[in-house]
Amino acid sequence: MAAAKRDTVRAVQKKRKERDPEEDQKDAFPEAVGLEMMSDEESHGGEDDGDVESDEEVDQFPEIDARSDSDSDEESNWDEEGEDSGDDDGDEEKRTLASAPDSDSGSDIHMFPKAKTIISEVTGHPKRVYPEIEPDYESDSSTEDDPNRVGDIPMHWYDDLPHIGYDINGKRVLRPAKGNELDRFLETVEDPNSWTSALDKNTQMDKPLSPGELDIIRRLQLGENPDAGYDPYEPTVEWFTGKGKEEVMPLSGAPEPKRRWLPSKWEKQKIMKIVRAIRLGRIVGSKPTTAGDGPRFFAIWNEPSSTQPPPLPAPKPSLPTHAESYNPPEEYLPTETERKEWENTDPEDRERNYLPQRYSALRLVPAYDQFIKQRFNRQLDLYLAPRIQRTRLNIDPNSLIPKLPSPSSLRPFPNYRSLKYTHTNGQVRCVSVSPDGAWVVSGDDNGIVSLWEVNVGHEVKRWALNSKVGTVEWCPRTDASYFVVGTEDKLHFIIPPNLPLAVLRSTQSTLAPATLPPVTQASVKWSSTPGIEDGVILTIFLPPTSGLPRQVTWHRKGDYLASVSSSESQGGVWIHQLSRRHSQAPFKKIKGAVQLVLFHPIKPHFFVATQRYVRVYNLAEQKLIKTLMPGIKWISSMDIHPSGDHVIVGGYDKKLCWFDLELNDKPYKVLRYHTRAIRSLHFHPTYPLFASSSDDGSIQIFHGRVYSDLMTDPLIVPLKILRGHNVSDGLGVLQVKWASKQPWLVSAGADGNVIVWCS
Amino acid sequence: MASTSAPGGASHPVIFTTESPYSLPSQKFMIPLDWKRYQLSQLVNKALSLAKPVPFDFLVHGEILRTSLGEWRTEKGFGEEDTLEIEYFESVLPPQRMTTLPHKDWVSSISCRIPQHFLTAAYDGHIRLFDYSQNMVRDVPAHLAPVTSVCVVPSQGSIDGSVVVASASHDLTATLTRISLEPDAMEPYQALASLHLHTSPLSSIASDHSGSYLLTASWDHLIGFWDAKIPLEDEVAVETGDRKKRRKVGGGAEAERPKRKAPVTVLKSHTARVSQALFDPGSTRKAYSCGFDSTVRTWDVESGVCMDTISVPERPMLDLAITPDGNTALASSTDRTVSVFDLRSPSLSSTTGTLVHPSTPSCLVCSGTRPNPSNDAPLTPASAPQIVTGAYDGIARLWDLRSMKNAVASFKAWDGTMKILSVDRVGEVVGVGGEGGVEVWRVGQGDRVLAK
Repeated sequence: MAAAKRDTVRAVQKKRKERDPEEDQKDAFPEAVGLEMMSDEESHGGEDDGDVESDEEVDQFPEIDARSDSDSDEESNWDEEGEDSGDDDGDEEKRTLASAPDSDSGSDIHMFPKAKTIISEVTGHPKRVYPEIEPDYESDSSTEDDPNRVGDIPMHWYDDLPHIGYDINGKRVLRPAKGNELDRFLETVEDPNSWTSALDKNTQMDKPLSPGELDIIRRLQLGENPDAGYDPYEPTVEWFTGKGKEEVMPLSGAPEPKRRWLPSKWEKQKIMKIVRAIRLGRIVGSKPTTAGDGPRFFAIWNEPSSTQPPPLPAPKPSLPTHAESYNPPEEYLPTETERKEWENTDPEDRERNYLPQRYSALRLVPAYDQFIKQRFNRQLDLYLAPRIQRTRLNIDPNSLIPKLPSPSSLRPFPNYRSLKYTHTNGQVRCVSVSPDGAWVVSGDDNGIVSLWEVNVGHEVKRWALNSKVGTVEWCPRTDASYFVVGTEDKLHFIIPPNLPLAVLRSTQSTLAPATLPPVTQASVKWSSTPGIEDGVILTIFLPPTSGLPRQVTWHRKGDYLASVSSSESQGGVWIHQLSRRHSQAPFKKIKGAVQLVLFHPIKPHFFVATQRYVRVYNLAEQKLIKTLMPGIKWISSMDIHPSGDHVIVGGYDKKLCWFDLELNDKPYKVLRYHTRAIRSLHFHPTYPLFASSSDDGSIQIFHGRVYSDLMTDPLIVPLKILRGHNVSDGLGVLQVKWASKQPWLVSAGADGNVIVWCS
Repeated sequence: MASTSAPGGASHPVIFTTESPYSLPSQKFMIPLDWKRYQLSQLVNKALSLAKPVPFDFLVHGEILRTSLGEWRTEKGFGEEDTLEIEYFESVLPPQRMTTLPHKDWVSSISCRIPQHFLTAAYDGHIRLFDYSQNMVRDVPAHLAPVTSVCVVPSQGSIDGSVVVASASHDLTATLTRISLEPDAMEPYQALASLHLHTSPLSSIASDHSGSYLLTASWDHLIGFWDAKIPLEDEVAVETGDRKKRRKVGGGAEAERPKRKAPVTVLKSHTARVSQALFDPGSTRKAYSCGFDSTVRTWDVESGVCMDTISVPERPMLDLAITPDGNTALASSTDRTVSVFDLRSPSLSSTTGTLVHPSTPSCLVCSGTRPNPSNDAPLTPASAPQIVTGAYDGIARLWDLRSMKNAVASFKAWDGTMKILSVDRVGEVVGVGGEGGVEVWRVGQGDRVLAK
């Protein structure tokens, strides 16, 4: 209602504005003419105004009453009434609001006529006196003639034209002369008023702002009321109350009008009209919103009962037992340990949520101590308040252990120490088992190379090479029998004793042929002269300062062997070909220090293990095939499965990684079972076994079955930990090798022992 | 007898049986439950009223009684009322060390078949002959490589005072050597012949009881069957180009060079190293062999056909012995067991038992396996076959086949620090050869003592 009323008031104000000039004039007239009248208003107008208003109101009411009586044109009456009342209100407001601005509006335009406060001669009160206004042209700005009469149009329409509009006579008003930029600048400098002038659009000239305008700007800048005459702190004017204004008599002695207590007739008529219209159906009420949803009320028992079985009744709470009694028998009372255990378990884990307690009388039973907590929890439940609920995992720890076949079903594997061969002093770094699985060669740090039987452990022959033995490796050939011993900068080829004649001859012809091929390379020398010891038939002199050969590995055909030297400056990888007596370095430059190399058992591939990565090269095409990333900080050992598809890599950081070469560059499985650095790994050539040895002095035997079916993952089962080597100087078992035809393991330890482990 | 009344406390009905000469009348005894072997032995002694007490051991359900009878009964859950049958035999006296024969190198094989002598073969390639008073009678450098096995070839018509010895070696040959037993013989030893067949080191050599045939087993999967005759000419041509070997072996005149023999038959069936080949104790046609392929094979040597194969999974065998009656074969294997095979049973693939060792049993010998005809002592019927095994832990064990769970007796050679590689036994003398040389032990065996 209030909003509607406001709207109507505005509309009326608009209407009134159309009539404004006259009223303004009327309003302005007394201001302009009679100063005394103003003073009268100030001094006596209160009573007058009040009288006038009350009179008007009094006059209006009968009018309304009269109209309400008439039946004929009610709607228009309504409107008129609204308008009229609106008019009245508007008039009042207008008057009260506009009184000050009207009086000031003139002073806005002109320079403010300064009011003087003088003592009135008549009343004796101080009063403002404004200077007299001469009613000539200068007094009214509205009469000032504007040379340009184009009106309020965008002046840029005249931008291209020489004139800027037309005067009252229709003659062109020419564009005032404008200097160039320099002139204008000079003007701004010379003219002290230039900074207070603004462009007048109509005349296209700069006009100095009047002091009043400047004052308005100043007030706006300060955020004050732009009206200079507005005083926000006007003194209170006592109109009706206060001293001397006490009303002794009521304002009006008129009796209370009847309309105050009689029901309104025209209201009744209005309502009756609506009632009639409703009865006649002219007014239709809005449809109920839930009309389509069916009946609002329905009998819930009318539906046929469902065929489903009724829900199960809630289980009856079990009856209280003796333990819940206030005075239970002795045997129900918990002991001290039971009580402690109950208190230490979580409430959710407790078997029962109370502790039997004994009271001699029921009146001694205290209040339920859980009452508030339970009530609180119940309310949290009702409010669906989320709470942290501990989820209990009832997982049998045994079910998390992967299902592996039992080691006893994976026999045979080595499980006991059959015999021990001891190098009297010095660590045994390397060991090798002959291809027929009958002989073992072991070399120690003192340069002693021993050949002994796997089965008896009796040394058959010994060679003293006077230099630390870094590696020994038996040639995989069956028609020839010899082994390589790597010492400082040298590789010695040694023929074992007691060979059949045919084998001996073929060995000799391989290692020391009658016709030597021409010597091609200078850096690696091959020498067949009988060396330091009996049986050393061939010696390869590696480049000097290449250091101790860390590893020698044979190609499966036994013609090529690769050696890795320990010096890291020169790469140290050499591939030697026995039939041509030729050595070559396969890598000119290689990233990282090479730890190990391996020949693929079937393909012409070459595995190079650097400190972090294992790179696989194709020797035939001479390119890198793939790089295996074991994630080991320092690779110590590596071996390839006899099928050639799987590689195990061990590191000094205890990890053993199994790679499926078909699968991924990342390890298929990482085993961290050793407590110290892994030293050596070896796959059994025939049995599905592999072994790892470590600095913790233990050897671990794994079952590593590889399926020809590509879909089946390799099966790795840890079988046995063999302990028997002592750790000396932080070094444990330095090398393990399998006997080729039996599930027997030969291990060389830093304690100088070589142990044969049998199944 | 009078001892049927129980002397108070619980007792158990027992019947005593024996296969020894000390037999009791079959009668039920009520034996107190707290009795042990000692009381039982005293009971038997008293019952027989022997002048000199003979200790007995008691065998209950195939197990030697070590505890009291009551403990045994509760352990086995034997019924209180059931009559228990207890077999008794003369107990084995604790073995005693008699002599030691130090060697420079390991002794790979020992034979006690020459009366009053020990024949040893060592890894330094020598065959040595000792008499019982620890004197080395002969030192024969028979081979340049380690000798792995030695055996005496019993020759009926041999020159008196000398024996023919066959030895097998790592140098791929076996030799026949005649060794004179007389201390000041003109020709202390003579190399008779060398046997050339194998291309790998030989593991064993054995002769039959008559001394006319030999068997060699080798790492090259072959078994050679040889006659023991000395040929007049070389049967195998000298390998040319092997100058080194000829120089070392021959050295002197051509006539002194041993004749080179060829095998009669080669037995091929093994798929791995053959570790032992033996003749059947009573026959020259039948032979047994065992090898790393986990099989025991029976051969008809004349036709060279493998007649039977006993195969056990994953048990590479190191040594083989046949009981004197030829019914049972024993094979030691690297899985620390000695398997017992019943050769008579139709299902040959099954073992009748195993003797479990704590270490690798490298050698075993069955009492009276290789009888020496020159030994006059009559063989007792194989009533109580006893077996001596030597293991890598340096302990020789005496087993009774009736009780396979525990060894009857055991003794430590060289204080148990060195490996035993060979054992041989004649009578109560057990020769143990191994890493520390040779030790000779006396193992008391009651019935044999009595039989003499």
